[in-house]
Amino acid sequence: MSNIAGKTFAMNVITPIKGVNFYINKVIFWFANTKLASSRLGGLATLSLIHYARWVLIGKDQFPHLHPDQPKEDLHYNYMLFHSNFNGSWDQYVDSFHKAIPKGLDLLWRKNVKYPGSVPLQPFHAYINFNQIWTSHYYSAYPSAAVNDVKSAKKVKTALVALTDKVETLSDQAFKEAYDEMLIDLQHDVSVMEDTPVVSLASQAVKDRRAKYQETISMNSDKVIPIQRTANK
Amino acid sequence: MSNVASKAYGLTILSPIREKIAQGVSGSVLTRSVIEDLKLHQHSPFAKVANTYLARLYVLNDVMFQGYPEQEDHLKSKYLVFASNFYGDLDEYLTGLWHGAQADVKQIWAHCYDFESVTDEASFLIYMKKCQLETTFFFNGSVGLGEDDISLNEQLKALYLKQEFAKFVWNNQSLSPNELKAAFIEFSHITQPNQPEPSWAPGHSDIAQG
Amino acid sequence: MTLDINDIQGNIIKAYGHFNLPKVRYVFLKVANPDVGRAFIQALLDQDFITRAGSWSSKNPAAITTNIAFTYNGLKILGVPSASLSTFPSEFSEGMKTRRSILGDDGISSPEHWDPIWQNDENIHIWMSFNGRTTEDVINRYNDVKELIDSLDEFNGEAGVELLSGHRAANGKLQDYQEGAALEINGLPTRKEHFGFDDGISDPFFKGCGQPAAYVVGGGKPKASASDSGVDLTSPNSWAPLETGEFILGHHDEASEIPLAPIPHDLSKNGSFMVYRKLHENVKAFNDYLDNLSEDYAEGREALAAKMVGRWKNGAPLASFPTEAEATIFGDKYAAAVANLGKGANAQENIANLKVFQDLDIQLRGFNYNADIEGSSCPMGAHIRRTNPRGALEFGVEDAYQTPGALIDRRRILRRGLPYGKFERGATNDNGDHGIIFMAINASIKRQFEFVQQQWVNYGNDFKLANDRDPILGNHPTDEHTGCPMGRMIIEGSKEEKKAPFFCGNIPRFVETRGGDYFFIPSMTAVQLIANGIVDPT
Repeated sequence: MSNIAGKTFAMNVITPIKGVNFYINKVIFWFANTKLASSRLGGLATLSLIHYARWVLIGKDQFPHLHPDQPKEDLHYNYMLFHSNFNGSWDQYVDSFHKAIPKGLDLLWRKNVKYPGSVPLQPFHAYINFNQIWTSHYYSAYPSAAVNDVKSAKKVKTALVALTDKVETLSDQAFKEAYDEMLIDLQHDVSVMEDTPVVSLASQAVKDRRAKYQETISMNSDKVIPIQRTANK
Repeated sequence: MSNVASKAYGLTILSPIREKIAQGVSGSVLTRSVIEDLKLHQHSPFAKVANTYLARLYVLNDVMFQGYPEQEDHLKSKYLVFASNFYGDLDEYLTGLWHGAQADVKQIWAHCYDFESVTDEASFLIYMKKCQLETTFFFNGSVGLGEDDISLNEQLKALYLKQEFAKFVWNNQSLSPNELKAAFIEFSHITQPNQPEPSWAPGHSDIAQG
Repeated sequence: MTLDINDIQGNIIKAYGHFNLPKVRYVFLKVANPDVGRAFIQALLDQDFITRAGSWSSKNPAAITTNIAFTYNGLKILGVPSASLSTFPSEFSEGMKTRRSILGDDGISSPEHWDPIWQNDENIHIWMSFNGRTTEDVINRYNDVKELIDSLDEFNGEAGVELLSGHRAANGKLQDYQEGAALEINGLPTRKEHFGFDDGISDPFFKGCGQPAAYVVGGGKPKASASDSGVDLTSPNSWAPLETGEFILGHHDEASEIPLAPIPHDLSKNGSFMVYRKLHENVKAFNDYLDNLSEDYAEGREALAAKMVGRWKNGAPLASFPTEAEATIFGDKYAAAVANLGKGANAQENIANLKVFQDLDIQLRGFNYNADIEGSSCPMGAHIRRTNPRGALEFGVEDAYQTPGALIDRRRILRRGLPYGKFERGATNDNGDHGIIFMAINASIKRQFEFVQQQWVNYGNDFKLANDRDPILGNHPTDEHTGCPMGRMIIEGSKEEKKAPFFCGNIPRFVETRGGDYFFIPSMTAVQLIANGIVDPT
């Protein structure tokens, strides 16, 4: 299992929710009212910890039903599925959010059954932990990059392309001036990326063991034993 | 309510798993074993799927009873959950998934209801869309104010350039203007800021220092 | 609020160094037999050796203090039951050595290079400190306790309680104590550490700490947001006290609750957790590095050093005194004010002199980075800005968070250690005995100390500095092929002044870990429970 891909952590939480229609209306309203949104969630952008986070409302009848053999779901509640991709360990993450944007968290989770509120911390932490599902396979296209690196890289590329395009036309002195000016603009975008810090001994141990194990297993489809399906009545 | 925020698409796929495979064999156990064994980082099947920023797989066993006085719910099936954040259009992405990682896809979804109907690209797209759930709220933290996501290749190139330029900056301080310009020209020849290559490979996890 | 200062050990609430107790010895004991161990603790209590926060008054100041703390193994051998032990935090039970990869204690800082006493750390059960006014005071108490240990029963031919040896001192000698003392320069005690910087200026101010109210400035949590203009940062109105529970168990903390603490509550309430780390300082390497790099750095050697730390050597913060000239003027005034304290012709003059001093002193702590979001005065990656960002993590965005201190109020630590070794201005090598005994006290080792160490000292993402590390403390990497040091730090330029940033490269490790562990500092109630062997969470 792994919730970690380099510097990025995955989180999955599924919680029962009451009155989904009412909630959808609220969300629509909230979308329309960006000022309300920015005051509750503006801090999310400044925190700069989340790559992408999504909330999916699943009505009790909306779980995919694809085959007559598959029993139909029979649920009392609707459900909210939350997927996040963020930097920092889970403990660090929840601490930051609960302190920085408690009202934003409440806005998003408020209709969930037994949601205790984002303040104080321990009940909120316990609620998320209880409803969390661990990821089996987590992939990031750029595990060595934190959100800040992803954002700053774009800035660096744009600046480098611009300077490269005109370097041949500049005198040495003019180039130096242009280079220095570019550096002032990029001074917080040019730190070198390395490995992620070790946030837990458990994840480090698994990582070490995996490195040994992965050398021996193979995904060659010849090695997978096909299972015969018995015909279901 | 949108699956798209800026240029990133948030895909959520819930595929019901056929449990009764054989005597003593559960579909979910087999499925979980397959996805746990997938290789990581640049060796992940998703490294072969164009424009995948972040992707995950897990098995949703059941929903959790929150305790009295709430009602106890149970799912009648287990679901394979596939969530992906990628750049661009859904159909193009799913086509890329089918062609880029077909053997892995077939193994991962082998025990899911109705996957036997998937025989080609077209039927794969139909199947996936039947399993898709709409995103209600999508927060995109990967773009700055007023900016958009860029394609994965552009993003990887940008990260490659950031890393290489960071090293350049440190190694080339206090040069004369003439030396600096020459060094920068050499840097741009090696790193080719305007070209797609050289760049980082998707899922590349070994960061060498320099 | 008032705390039960007769239940709380003195070192939690009082930074002894500020109470004219500049000399210290730390000792570590092994308990071979629980009965003997408990008898020892009881004897300490009977002799009234253990210092409480309320143990002295300004009329009757202490000349010597003694405090006690325990590792997880120590609590275990003394008979604290596993039902109770299992409620202690996991990082405490694992110990510092096991958590080396989280703390970045690799390479030259790995445990195999630590002082010999730490090699069999399962034997480290009890920590004690003797802080005194003079070395003689310290040695007397140390001898008293040593006598007490010797007088205890033996167990199977071995001492029931043993004073462990193996602390490396000057000339490689191994001692059964670790000495520490405020550095003396030209015969006078200072608050400097070996790199030459005034240290320990900032101390968290929390409800019930009993410090004079003015110390909430800089010590408490910031109330001023980047969008507030004309705020007087030296005014106590711009700061609020932190919640007690960040530093003492059993009290309301900054997460708006009383956090989970080990059970039974009598065992944990009014106690805290302590991190002890012996940090060797490579003074020569530091000076050499500055000598070399300052040839390229226009503002000069002192400015370069200040940029790395975030303060000038005299303590003036870069955020308020960005240039050497301003810092020198401040430093001269401050030194004069100190010299004039109590030297007035009459009481009125003394009061005036005190005010002059206080108005200057407050400037050492009364600042933030709201006017310096870009880091032109004080680099984002400077040591003090990393370890206490003071609201800078809002990055100048108006009301980004619930409070300006939202990301830092839960990451504060009390620092209670002292330097060790003699100050040597012109050290010719780095094998000398120069360093700091770093002692941090906090309610949660993982959330406070370990977070700062891992995310803010040995990493840089929160400051948008990718993997750059704290220039002074960080575990800078070396190139595995060439062995070349690869630490980096950016000294930001300025858009207005059109000044390009300056990049410090090839930074070697200036600080090396030489030992340490995690300890639990019990309240007096808990010490008595442990001595009686009656802890029972049933």
